[in-house]
Amino acid sequence: MTRLQLENVSVEYPIFGAQALSLKSTLTAAATGGRIGREAGVTVVHALRDISLELREGDRLGITGHNGSGKSTLLRVIAGVYPPTRGTIHRTGSVSSLIDPMLGIEMDATGYENIRLRGLIAGMRLAAIAAITPQIAEFSGLGDYLSIPVRTYSTGMLMRLAFSIATAVHTDILIMDEWMSVGDAEFQAQAEERLRQVIDNTGILVLASHQPALIERECNRVIELSHGAVVQDRPLGPIEPTIRLLSTG
Amino acid sequence: MSIANRQLNSAWSDWWAGTRNAELWWTLAWYDVVLRYRRSMLGPLWLTLSTGALLVGMGPLYATLFKVPIGTFFPHLTLGIIFWTFFTATINDGCAVFINGAQYLKQPGFSPSVLVWRSLARNILQLAHTIVLYVPVALWAGIPLSPRMLLFLPGFVIVVINLHALTLTLGIVCARFRDVAQIVASMLQLMMFLTPVFWFPSSLPGRSHAILYNPLAQLLDVVRLPLLGDLPAPGTIRFLMAFTVLNVAIAAAMYRLNRRHLVYWV
Repeated sequence: MTRLQLENVSVEYPIFGAQALSLKSTLTAAATGGRIGREAGVTVVHALRDISLELREGDRLGITGHNGSGKSTLLRVIAGVYPPTRGTIHRTGSVSSLIDPMLGIEMDATGYENIRLRGLIAGMRLAAIAAITPQIAEFSGLGDYLSIPVRTYSTGMLMRLAFSIATAVHTDILIMDEWMSVGDAEFQAQAEERLRQVIDNTGILVLASHQPALIERECNRVIELSHGAVVQDRPLGPIEPTIRLLSTG
Repeated sequence: MSIANRQLNSAWSDWWAGTRNAELWWTLAWYDVVLRYRRSMLGPLWLTLSTGALLVGMGPLYATLFKVPIGTFFPHLTLGIIFWTFFTATINDGCAVFINGAQYLKQPGFSPSVLVWRSLARNILQLAHTIVLYVPVALWAGIPLSPRMLLFLPGFVIVVINLHALTLTLGIVCARFRDVAQIVASMLQLMMFLTPVFWFPSSLPGRSHAILYNPLAQLLDVVRLPLLGDLPAPGTIRFLMAFTVLNVAIAAAMYRLNRRHLVYWV
């Protein structure tokens, strides 16, 4: 049973200025009672305030809000990357994020080697990666290019590869920051279909976006963040059946 | 398949989750080295060549300066330089381990200890490139194969444990205080002269023996002496046991206290 529960989660983190990043300045400031070293440049950011959420299998949560309202921080808390400063998070089920598909791509390694690297970083075992490599290769449509270093790829080819790897496995909880769209017209349609499959097969979707239409289309619940707090939390109607039909057809 | 939930786990199981995932850190380290070969034809072999050149240049000169027979000095110097390079490269890499791995730490279920093992494994692979230089040197100096050489293995385990703990501690401190990496680099430079990398400990007069009680000198002994066919002194073993306990305790405490902050710092 996939489940995700946040109880009164708050996140505060320090941003260190150049002064506070230096041990010498920090020690000087401490030893002289702050007279020589200037004010230690630590700014505390209240990124999330007292957020409680419960998501169950089948839930599709949309997150909206202005830049800096805490969307990305919340996505990272849900992914288990940022530990909450206060409050607790309970999660059952595997989680993966489509936030940074280019992470761990080595420019001097070949396409096949990058499939292996990226798969390992995403938490897979080598044997499992070997099993899905042919599918990834076929889907990417890169053919023999996969045997040469990705340094020689065009940006579009690189995105194809990254997308093919990132969407190759299904997880219980999927985290997305805006919709992913890649490649030329032909690949775009193919990618759209793949993304649809991945989303349909995932237990819980958490999608941050600036586009209300996208959230209306994909989600059954939406929260709006402002200054790290939930200012609005409302259910959305069931996802349009026509879109489901389009995707499977 | 369930990915470990980092904040729910204890520091220990978090460390173990990364340590256990040898496929991940070994592959990352392996590609670090392989890709270096791809960028230049000789790749890491450059280090073998430059170390070799340094040895050939320094060996005869310093043997004359120190008035010691080159037959005993050359193997001592070779292992000294090879292991010292390994120690300092690992410690300097350790300072940057979390800063450079910031992107990885922001990946779900990625344990920081993976980055520590990756750095260690990469440096051990690099060590494998230079340690081969000792083979012709040992043959030339006529050092006989002896069962004592097997003691290199437990010695190396002690070295790896200590370098792991140091990497963890320094990685955390340097993520918080960015100027510590430079401080460490200059301290290591100073330590090179205080450690018998080039000279023989036996040439120290009387009370100055105290400077041998620096951890790097002791760690050097425990891997160098067995390969020369000698045994480390019982004092070395006692010192290193105490130092290892202290070093691991500090690393464990640093990790326990700071692992939740680490991802916010990098």
